[in-house]
Amino acid sequence: MTEKITPIREKMLANIRIQRFTPGDDRSSYFDNFKVQVETGMTVLEVLRHIKNTQDSTLTFRAFCRSAICGSCTVRVNANSVLACSTQLLPIIKDFGKASVTITPMANLPVIRDLVVDIDPVIEKLAKMHPYLMENRERIPETLEQESLMSKKELKQFDSLTDCILCGACFSACSTVKVDETYAGPLTIAKAYRFSIDPRDSFRGMRIQASMDQGLWSCVQCRKCLKVCPKDIRPADSIRQMRRIAIDDGIHDTAGSRRAKAYTDDVEKFGQVNKPMLPVVVNGTKGWTAIEAGEAALEKHGLAPTRQVCTLPGQEGAAKIYAKVREIEKKEKAREQQ
Amino acid sequence: MLTYDVLIVGSGGAGLYAALKSRMEEDLHVAVLTKVYPTRSHTGAAQGGVNAALANKDRTDTWEDHWFDTVKGSDYLADQDAAELMCREAPQVIREMEHWGCPFDRTKEGKIAQRPFGGASKIRACYAADKIGHVMLHTLYEQGLRHGVNYFNEWQTLSLLHDGQRCLGVNALDIRSGKLHTIQAKAVILATGGYGRIFWTRTSNAYGNTGDGAALAYRAGLALKDMEFVQFHPTGLRRTGILMTEGARGEGGYLLNALGERFMSNYAPEKMELGPRDLVSRAIETEVREGRGGSDGEVFLDITHLGKERIAKRLPQIRQLCIDFEGVDPVLEPIPIKPTAHYSMGGIHTDFNGLTPIEGIYAAGEAGCVSVHGANRLGGNSLLDILVFGRRAGVHALEYARHTEFKPMPKEALAPAETCIKALTDGDSKETIADIRKDMGDLMAEKAGIYRDAAGLTQAVAGLVELKARYKRLKIKDKSNIFNTELGAALELGNMLDLAQVIAQGALERAESRGAHYREDFTKRDDKEWLKHTLATRNSDETPKLHFEPVTITRFQPEARTY
Repeated sequence: MTEKITPIREKMLANIRIQRFTPGDDRSSYFDNFKVQVETGMTVLEVLRHIKNTQDSTLTFRAFCRSAICGSCTVRVNANSVLACSTQLLPIIKDFGKASVTITPMANLPVIRDLVVDIDPVIEKLAKMHPYLMENRERIPETLEQESLMSKKELKQFDSLTDCILCGACFSACSTVKVDETYAGPLTIAKAYRFSIDPRDSFRGMRIQASMDQGLWSCVQCRKCLKVCPKDIRPADSIRQMRRIAIDDGIHDTAGSRRAKAYTDDVEKFGQVNKPMLPVVVNGTKGWTAIEAGEAALEKHGLAPTRQVCTLPGQEGAAKIYAKVREIEKKEKAREQQ
Repeated sequence: MLTYDVLIVGSGGAGLYAALKSRMEEDLHVAVLTKVYPTRSHTGAAQGGVNAALANKDRTDTWEDHWFDTVKGSDYLADQDAAELMCREAPQVIREMEHWGCPFDRTKEGKIAQRPFGGASKIRACYAADKIGHVMLHTLYEQGLRHGVNYFNEWQTLSLLHDGQRCLGVNALDIRSGKLHTIQAKAVILATGGYGRIFWTRTSNAYGNTGDGAALAYRAGLALKDMEFVQFHPTGLRRTGILMTEGARGEGGYLLNALGERFMSNYAPEKMELGPRDLVSRAIETEVREGRGGSDGEVFLDITHLGKERIAKRLPQIRQLCIDFEGVDPVLEPIPIKPTAHYSMGGIHTDFNGLTPIEGIYAAGEAGCVSVHGANRLGGNSLLDILVFGRRAGVHALEYARHTEFKPMPKEALAPAETCIKALTDGDSKETIADIRKDMGDLMAEKAGIYRDAAGLTQAVAGLVELKARYKRLKIKDKSNIFNTELGAALELGNMLDLAQVIAQGALERAESRGAHYREDFTKRDDKEWLKHTLATRNSDETPKLHFEPVTITRFQPEARTY
């Protein structure tokens, strides 16, 4: 029995609102509205190309592979950083029931024209991270007659991080880049981490230094990068791991590592963070200025400051959890050594 | 004036390997010109694998087996000495990539993992999940950063400069500022990839795979080789041409026409959907031609009967691709597909080192044609080609540049580029890029695509002359110098039209069917008349002039190609 195939195809007239700017011609950015018949299957990129082909050939955007592997076409759709080529438009339009959508360039980067931003700042930050394998000669042979061996387990440690296509969606969404333009951004630290844990590499120390120089400890773990990454490489996790290997490698003398250490030590000891004293633990004697300023502000409002950790009900539970964690750690170490 | 010892045009695998090799000892100035950013290049889209007889999986595999598979796959049009060299060097280049950090998947022993591939007699394709091209491209880019390769990102090359004997450099457009530059170079390596976009929407290729390097070389008087051979993949998504791998049919997917009939029973009753690529492509084309396709010239790949669970388990990526790019959930409805132009076997005529007849001008990868793929490329050999011949071109150019002085650049070197741009901004008609491009794609797909015959190809040749005339009247509306993508697209269209003429002319003259070239009026391979390469140069009236050169046969005598 055969049955004629009738595909499910919906259509909807939509208003596509696009941010425009051509330097030299325009004094500032503005929005243009285009009416487009959006149908099932149409991606944001197809709509942009349709507008360029039929309505306004000066509309400017980047696109290349149109299959989500090159990372050229990152834009913001209703403020979310996405790859235009792999974002279906109809569900978005229907979702808001308004038949309208707003497309703007990536955030945190200067606009060159319309939806095209300057991504060189990202590349420059990346280049500073030593983003390449530096041969560990114990693992990589000198001649091309031999392979260097690597176990499946070793590969698995960093394999998913090699999915990164440098699309910059995470950079566009990053809360820290937004307030600190010297910050490296999620993808560059993820890349640095990928090589730092490759057993065939010998340059981990330099990369940890490079990422600290570019604000490794500035990330606030808002996890927006995790949400927007089209390849799901979880940059925020890499940033945390990078901090961990920095501390593992004996870097205890930075504000960030002291803060991390203070958190774990305090919770283990008191069941909570000793917040009143944190500035001194993190910043040394300079921290007293902050503490005193804080105390003065409290007094001004008639509040009595304290340098004591208050007691919380059930805080001894934290110590129990820690004891358990230490126990498991011990067991795991023993198993690894076997 | 910008000056480099070695200048590479194009930043895919071949270009980046060449750049890295010529910069390895850090004594020469090396730059890569690319109209995108290097990691955007289309090498990144290669999913499956790269062939090398490492014998990690099948201990009996040898480079000679690989050699034979390559020659057989090429339908005996590959030069056997060139194919031999590629297969011999394959293990070395793969290990070099690995030593640079390329994350290949691993065997239990920790060696590079290999998987079976169509057309290969042994398990030979090295892979990294479904992202081998992506990780290779990134590895090469990373090592280039390490060794101080200069990257000119978003620069479009407009013309190739030489004095008849030696390379002088190129003219290029800085897309971001709109400024034109002459760049002087002792050696120029063209590595701009293939020309699948000549079929416009009916291709798996990126928007930018417009054969720029081949067109530059052709206009500079160099010969193009075997351009009529374009490989089609039977199952690309309807809207975008993005590939649906054979895996979907391998899992038990059906091909249905719009009437819901499993039409492969009329073409390959035994193998059904798993027949060879070219046969399945032709079957689909026939269904559509005879009116049994969908409204958009598509047929359907149906996996709904496999059930949600099996699809989620065995074909999760395919399902995601359909949802993201086609808006269709294959669990619920059949996937609309069309055959899609996938790979360009032809390219710039070169020797084993990628060298053209002009000293200092090289080509490598899909842009070039040493001839290792002949009439049909073996799966897993495209990535190998770019590595082996990108590397060879880089090494050769390095030695050449070390022992050569710069030639003085003539004062008027930039003039042709200025004229070319002016012509595009000064046109006088209502012609648009989108219209001409679409008409070109339709014409090529219909008359010079999967099915070809003398009548259709004659129409294609005539149609292209007309399209070129329309192109000359084109007027670009975008007047800004800043990131003018309309200008970029117009330049690309000009390149494609030149190459399309060569393809159509070559296909018209080649009165046989071989590999990817199928003539309805000459359905058999004809070794007596046509076991030879097509070479095309440009006449003064811009039409192609063809001549033919013999194929090098060293060990394997041509026999019927059956699988």
